Amino acid sequence: MKHLMTAVVTLAASVLGNLASGQDVGLPAPMDDKYCMTCHGAVGQGNVGVQAPRIAGMESWYLKRQLENFRAGIRGTHPDDEQGLAMQPMAARLTDQSIGDLIEWVGSFDYIPTTATIEGDASRGRQAYTRCASCHGDQGQGNETFGAPALAGQNDWYLVTQLRNFKAGYRGNSPNDQYGAMMVSMANSLTNDQAILNVVSYINTLGR
Amino acid sequence: MINSVTRRDFLSLLGAYGGTSALIQAGTALGLMPQPGQAAELSLARAGASGRRVAILGSGVSGLAVAWELTKAGYDCTVLEASHRPGGRVFTVRSGTVIDELGNYQRCEFDNEPHLYFNAGAARIPSNHSTVLGYCRELGVDLEIFVNESMRAWVQDDNFNGGRPVRNADFHTNMHGFLAEMLAKSLSAGQLDEEFSEAEMEALLRIIRNLGDLNEDMLFEGSFRAGYASGGFLDHGTKHAMIAFRELLKTRLAAGLMVTTDVGTGAGPVLMQPVGGMDRIPYAFANRLADRIRFRSAVKSVQVSDHGVEIAYERDGSRETLQADYCFNCIPSHLMTGIPNNFPSDYLDALKYIRRGEAYKAAFQARQRFWEDEGIYAGITWVNSPIQQIWYPPHGIHKQKGVILAAYDFGGGMYYTKMTQEQRIEELLRHGEKVHPDYRQLVEKPVTIAWHRMNNMLGCAARWQRSRDGWSAEEEAMYHRLQQPVNGRHWMMGDQISQHSAWMESALQSAHFALADMDQRVRAAAL
Repeated sequence: MKHLMTAVVTLAASVLGNLASGQDVGLPAPMDDKYCMTCHGAVGQGNVGVQAPRIAGMESWYLKRQLENFRAGIRGTHPDDEQGLAMQPMAARLTDQSIGDLIEWVGSFDYIPTTATIEGDASRGRQAYTRCASCHGDQGQGNETFGAPALAGQNDWYLVTQLRNFKAGYRGNSPNDQYGAMMVSMANSLTNDQAILNVVSYINTLGR
Repeated sequence: MINSVTRRDFLSLLGAYGGTSALIQAGTALGLMPQPGQAAELSLARAGASGRRVAILGSGVSGLAVAWELTKAGYDCTVLEASHRPGGRVFTVRSGTVIDELGNYQRCEFDNEPHLYFNAGAARIPSNHSTVLGYCRELGVDLEIFVNESMRAWVQDDNFNGGRPVRNADFHTNMHGFLAEMLAKSLSAGQLDEEFSEAEMEALLRIIRNLGDLNEDMLFEGSFRAGYASGGFLDHGTKHAMIAFRELLKTRLAAGLMVTTDVGTGAGPVLMQPVGGMDRIPYAFANRLADRIRFRSAVKSVQVSDHGVEIAYERDGSRETLQADYCFNCIPSHLMTGIPNNFPSDYLDALKYIRRGEAYKAAFQARQRFWEDEGIYAGITWVNSPIQQIWYPPHGIHKQKGVILAAYDFGGGMYYTKMTQEQRIEELLRHGEKVHPDYRQLVEKPVTIAWHRMNNMLGCAARWQRSRDGWSAEEEAMYHRLQQPVNGRHWMMGDQISQHSAWMESALQSAHFALADMDQRVRAAAL
C-alpha cells in the first residue's frame, strides 16, 4: 500500500515504551494514508452515519475530477454544505501525484451492493429519469464521454443530498464547473423534494 | 413593569423543590445511593476454561474499563484501537501532542512543562461521579480540585452594559438583590397567613432578606458581596455601583449564570481533575493493559454468530482476524454504521438514528497569567458569543505561563468547525479581547479541537433526542435495544449508550451495565 501523504511520518517508535510516561509526547505523527476510510466506510462502501458516499466502484475519471474540484474550491466551499466543507480541506492538501495514487488505491476496492434506504414513487421517477438517461445512461451506468458518473449502485441518500445541493446552489454554481452547471439546471427541473425521492427510487431499481 | 410573582406560582415552586429534596434525603439515609469514591460493586465470575477470549473495540474509557475488569477476572482481552493513543474523547493536549483533525492536522507547540496542558475532551469530574472516582482511587490517579465558578471571572455580552465585561460577583449580587426584593414585595403581610405560621413566615422573610442582602426595609441597595469598590481592609470598604435590574435582563446569559455552580447534577461546585491532565485516567488503564491494546488497528468487519464474534481489522497494511467469544464495542455509532456487520436490522437502525455531537474547544498558551493580575484564579468567564466560555486553569498558580481554554461550544460547534484554522484563531482573539483588552498580545500557540472532524471520532457526545421535550417512546425503545447484546455476544457501550452522554461516568456505567449482563449470561450457562 502506498503512503499517499508523504508529509506525514509513520509510527516507528514503540508505542508501549511511550505509554509508560503517561503521555503521548514524543510520538510521531499518526500514519494517515487511510484517512478516506474514516468517513467513507471501512471498505469504501459509504457511511450514512456521517453522510459520506461510496467511493468503492467509483469511476477513476470521476473521482479525479471531484478531487480536483474540491482541491480548487469549486466544490465544498458553500457555507451551508456541511459535508462538502468537511471534504474540501482534505482535498486541498493533495498533489497531482497523490490524487493519482489515491485513485489507484480506491480503484482496488471491491464494490459491495447498496441497499435502498429511501421511499419514493419509482414509476413517477422513471418518467423523470428519461432526462437523466441522456447523459447517465438507461441503466444509470454512467458515460465518460459526457462526464456523467454512474448513478446505479451509489448510496441513495447521497444522490438525494446531491440533487438537493444542486438545487440549493451548494454545488454546481462555480463558473469553472461546467458539468455542475448542467446538473443545476437538471436538478431544478425536479420541482420538489418528492420528485427527487421519486427519481432516486427509480435509480434504486436499476441495480448494479 | 414586571408583574409580582403570584402566590400560586410561589407555592407551586416551593412544592416542587420540596418534593425533590425530600426524596433525595430519604434515599441517601436509606443507603440507596452510591457513596462518592466507590465504584458500583462488580463481582464478575472468574473466567472458565473455555469462552475466555474477549475483543474490545475502541479504547475509550468504557473499552479500557471492560478490558481491565475482564483481565482481572481471568479473561484473555484484546483491545483494538484505530488511532495512535488510548482514551477516545478523554484527550489531553500538551507539548508535542498530535491533533489529528481531518484536513487540519495540528501539533501542539505549548512549552514542555507539566502544568501546560489542555483537556480537549473530558475536563471535569463531579464529586458524585462515583465510578470515575472509584477507578481513580483504584488506579492511583492523583486528583486536585477543579474550579468551575469564580465570582471574580467576567460576564461579557455585547447587548449588556455596553459590551463591557462585568465581574460575575457584580452580576450575581445585583440579580439576587432584585429577585429577593421582588419576592419580599410579593409577600406583603397577611397574604400567606393561611399557608404559613407566623414563625415560618418570619423564617421565610429572613431567608429572602439574606438571599438578596436586603436592607431593613427589604430593599436592595447594593452589597459588599460583589467585593469592594475601594478599601475593605485598612479602611472601610465602599460598595460597587448597582447595575439596573433592566440592564441585567438584557443578557441571555442571565438564566444560566444563576445556576453555574450546579453543573455536575447535584455535585457542584466541587469538581475534580487529575493532576497533570485528564488522560492520566486512560493511560492508567492502558499501562496496566500493556500489549493487550493494539493501536492503529482499524476494525473492518464485525460478524456475530451464536458462538462468538469474528472481527476483521487492518494493522500495518495487512488484514487480520480476531476470533472472540465476546465483544464489547465503543466505536462511535456513526462510524460503526460504516463498518460491515451482520447486526439485526432493528439494532442497526438504532445505531443509525443517533446523531453525532458538534462540540468545539480551543486553547491558547498565555505568555503570562494575566487573569491572576485581574484577581482571577481559576473559574469560567461567560461570554455571549460563539466562544461562550473562557476557562482559567486552577493549577500552576503564579507560574509564568498557563494554558487557558479559549472557547467551548458544547452544542453547536459547527460555527467554528467550518472555518479554516486561521479564521478560527482570529475569531477566538476577536471575542476574547472584549473580555481581556490585551488578549491578542498575551496569548500564543493556539490549538483548536473540532470533534466533528477528529480522525477516528468524527463527532462529540451522541445526540439521541430530536425534540426539546425529552426522549420519545421510540427513542427510549431504540436505546434499550442497544443496551441489549446481539446473540448474547456483542455489546455496544460508551457514553453513547447512556441517557446522559458526554460524561465519563456515563461511559463507565454503560461498561458496567454491559459487563453485568455478560456475567449473568456466563453464570447461567455454567449451571
